[in-house]
Amino acid sequence: MDESRSYSRFSIFYRIEHWVLTTSFTLLAITGLVQQHVDSGFVTSIIDLLGGIETVRLLHHVAAIVLMLETIYHIAHVGYRVFVLRKRMSMLPGIEDARNALQALRYNLGLDERRPQQGFYTFEEKLEYWAVVWGTIVMGVTGFMLWNPIATTNLLPGTFIPAAKIAHGLEAFLAVVAILIWHMYHVHLRHFNKSIFTGQASEEEMLDEHPKTLAEIKAGGEEPRIPPDVLSKRRRIFFPVCGLAVAVMLTGVYFFVGYEETAIATIPPAEEVTVFVHLTPTPLPTIAPSSAGSEGADWGDFQHPLSLEGAHASADCADCHVEGQELTSDCSGCHQPPSDHYGPNCADCHTPTSFQDARLPADEHPIELVGAHQAASCEGCHAGGEETPEYICSNCHARPENHLPGECDICHTPRGFAESASFLVDLAPAIPHEIEGRDDCFMCHDPEGEIQPAPCNHVDYINEQCTLCHKTEQ
Amino acid sequence: MIVPKRMIIVMLSLSFVFVIWAVAGAGSVLAQEADNGVCLACHGQPGLQTTLPSGEILYLTVDPEVFEASVHGLEGFLCVHCHSDIDGYPHPPLTVETRRELSLSLYRSSCILCHEDKYDETLDSVHAVALAGGDDRAAICTDCHGSHNISPPTEPRSRSSQMCELCHSEIFERYKQSVHGAALIGEGNPDVPSCIDCHHVHCIEGPLTCPFHLFSPQTCANCHADAELMAKYGISTDVFDTYVADFHGTTVVLFEKLAPDQETNKPVCIDCHGVHDMKQVDDPESAVMKENLLATCQKCHPDATTDFPTSWLGHYPPDAEHAPLVFFVRLFYLIFIPAVLGVMVVFVATDVRKRFLGRSKEPQHG
Repeated sequence: MDESRSYSRFSIFYRIEHWVLTTSFTLLAITGLVQQHVDSGFVTSIIDLLGGIETVRLLHHVAAIVLMLETIYHIAHVGYRVFVLRKRMSMLPGIEDARNALQALRYNLGLDERRPQQGFYTFEEKLEYWAVVWGTIVMGVTGFMLWNPIATTNLLPGTFIPAAKIAHGLEAFLAVVAILIWHMYHVHLRHFNKSIFTGQASEEEMLDEHPKTLAEIKAGGEEPRIPPDVLSKRRRIFFPVCGLAVAVMLTGVYFFVGYEETAIATIPPAEEVTVFVHLTPTPLPTIAPSSAGSEGADWGDFQHPLSLEGAHASADCADCHVEGQELTSDCSGCHQPPSDHYGPNCADCHTPTSFQDARLPADEHPIELVGAHQAASCEGCHAGGEETPEYICSNCHARPENHLPGECDICHTPRGFAESASFLVDLAPAIPHEIEGRDDCFMCHDPEGEIQPAPCNHVDYINEQCTLCHKTEQ
Repeated sequence: MIVPKRMIIVMLSLSFVFVIWAVAGAGSVLAQEADNGVCLACHGQPGLQTTLPSGEILYLTVDPEVFEASVHGLEGFLCVHCHSDIDGYPHPPLTVETRRELSLSLYRSSCILCHEDKYDETLDSVHAVALAGGDDRAAICTDCHGSHNISPPTEPRSRSSQMCELCHSEIFERYKQSVHGAALIGEGNPDVPSCIDCHHVHCIEGPLTCPFHLFSPQTCANCHADAELMAKYGISTDVFDTYVADFHGTTVVLFEKLAPDQETNKPVCIDCHGVHDMKQVDDPESAVMKENLLATCQKCHPDATTDFPTSWLGHYPPDAEHAPLVFFVRLFYLIFIPAVLGVMVVFVATDVRKRFLGRSKEPQHG
């Protein structure tokens, strides 16, 4: 046995195809599977590592385009080998492969002494190849539906989209697990088969896996060379036909990728609404004065700026609110003052409660209005509408029985009727001597006399009045 | 007599403490003096008002009964606790031009005294941002809670939403027509969300931000994934899970986790169901009603045609009844996958047994 001899298995074109397929399949598997399990923290961190879900989807699409182009190239490549080079279609499965599989199983179980004598492609390799073909078709069709849902639902019921999503996901799972079991075992674990990278298989490998082909080669079954004129004739037919087919398939890919714009890039606002619209009328922050309001009118929380009391409560709105006229809270809008009226500011004396209840402010009166006089009626003093009144206390105050004679204002001031008298008593100096037998005070205390003269304002007083205020010392 | 150094320190400390105590005591006496009766003698009179430089009328009357019934009145708070610049009569002259300026200056100096935590929360709110940006219409404490008439904000539950209405009346009108709003305002339903259940209370987020949009399904799920609550109304709790399981929801969940500040063109609940005006799904006006669904899809998928909306399974899990095609495709793979993998495993396992576990009767090649 020639240990150093190696046998050609894969041309450089197939080896490149394998690399392209490996890369795109791995990328598709990673970027696809992570999209199915986003609830896992591990998967989420992978998506993050790849640059986010939009990048993951972009990578998935790019890898899908690469796989589609690779598929087209593979079809053209196989076409050239079959139609131009007239190679045997050694990858086609046959009844012999089923027989080989069964024999392999029987041999493994010890039911058969001989291993199957397999040819250029073993049944394991054929199963893998056709699994890839099946997977690529299923993933391509369902992938198209997911990529172009509007185009799909123009032709098919909408439920095909979620069905495609389920199929795409489960088929992907099947493909990945099948690769891990079947491919991983047969070319990496059982024996690391490097022929897809080097293109060559050793004598030992050929004997182990492809004994039938090895025997054929050793028997000198060299394929006859094709004469150059035949070859160029075949090429003249093949290239235009193949070119047309490739052009059609590339157009298909172009439509696959760019046929529809499924969704717009920026989602429209969920709601068109003006955010700030003040409620009308707007309630005031501070509780405004209570107002009776016009009868029957429901103003809600609205408060009339002018307190509507007294005659204003029953007034018609239109009395003040003349259309087309800006309203101020001036009284003169409605009320005309008499020509000789006192003062310019209505509100100094008048309240909206009643016009007739007008009162001069206490500090505006020529004579200070204090005590009970503050609330007394004007008429009490201004009898008959006199501008300068006689101060006639008896208009309001009745002199009690047994009251001392004389003018009221000898003792009383407007400060308070009772209060003012005791105030005076306290001020009056006490009598330092006996009064028994001394009947006439003014005999000694003549205002014009020498002995403790009474003050000059006491001139008109009578003796009985002196002891009202002046008391004897005890 | 020699006084020990330590004694001097102790005496100095004691006198310092006494001075502090005396000053603090004097302060509280002043505060006690400004009894509410003193203020209300004038401010309890109806019709008390003044005109501000802007021409606005500033109403100065406080209804004593209203204040007494407010949360602060019931607790015995004093006028001067909030109006801390007032220490007698005449009052310091008003320096504000408008009523709004007065409210803004008062709430900044008063509410924070007792409610600092809530005040701080508001600083992150969309209102505080607007206010800082110069929009003085933005709501402050007193706009929602009132001032002299503050009552507990949840009595009744619809009260807080009606406070929002003051400034957001157009939105409130829409909300009032919605399945949620009608139940809250009309029936006083305790289960439906009021404004603050989705927008939060003091730290009100801007609802047009990316994070708010992305996380809004979680807000909906708070109630719609609550089995006990939904059972009362016969509403499915699958809505959130079926949303997340689909393309739109999957994407949104990933954006939530990985890029909450980035915009996505995938819709959340409100993009299909409506925001403030969401209707019951069997309401003829509902945006997700079968007859209206195509128009709703077309908001984002302008080219969509009649059959497009049925690609969404309507929050139903794909069972034989609602989506037979989906159900049977899944069933096919649930049989097909174990079958294929099973055959592969049998071949590989027997090969391993023969080749590596020495069960071969035949000598190895090579």
